Amino acid sequence: MTTLHIVRQSVFNSDDFSQCIQVLGINDVITFIDDGCYNLQHSLISTIDKSLNIQLTVIEQHANARAIAIDENIIAKITMKDLVTLTFANNTVITWQ
Amino acid sequence: MPQTTLKTLAILNTKAPYSSTAGKDALDIALIFGSFEQPVALFFQGEGVRQLISGQDGSMINVKDYLKTFAAFEFYDIEEIYVCQTSLAQRGLVDDFHIDGVQVLNRQDFAQKLTAQQTILRF
Repeated sequence: MTTLHIVRQSVFNSDDFSQCIQVLGINDVITFIDDGCYNLQHSLISTIDKSLNIQLTVIEQHANARAIAIDENIIAKITMKDLVTLTFANNTVITWQ
Repeated sequence: MPQTTLKTLAILNTKAPYSSTAGKDALDIALIFGSFEQPVALFFQGEGVRQLISGQDGSMINVKDYLKTFAAFEFYDIEEIYVCQTSLAQRGLVDDFHIDGVQVLNRQDFAQKLTAQQTILRF
């Protein structure tokens, strides 16, 4: 049972991402979209428990529009089409907004 | 003839550029006041500092890129543009702005400049 977490808000503006991190399960997926892309620039992302094997993804277009650099060693660039696929590949979806 | 002094207006930008219309609304107000030769000062704090960072392109996500209009500030005599240094530092951002003439102020100076204005509109 895995969950796709869609994070839409910047941690600089809300604590959505902090709450998301607190409920992560093994092999869950996080996708950063819209202002959620700003979370790539926050240290909170490095606090995610590595033993959970979380897959981190970001909508490339959304990050590029905001001039946010993507470290592909940590996070995978995806498209909106890929996001649709992820919604089917996971058992549940939570949108943090 | 009685002397009239113009009121000073501060526009405080606190929102990131693309997920709400706040930044565009603030810009519209600034340009309207500028075109009537009213003194306007722009302040960028919190997520609002992102409006000044270079390399952004709203057209990639089908948002009208109002940030390009910032280049017109000088034609509207909008010369007072202040950004909060603390907000930049908290976000790991440097003073790489897409317009010239932006003054980076520490928290104290930023507050002092802001509260010295007679009217403050926050977006």
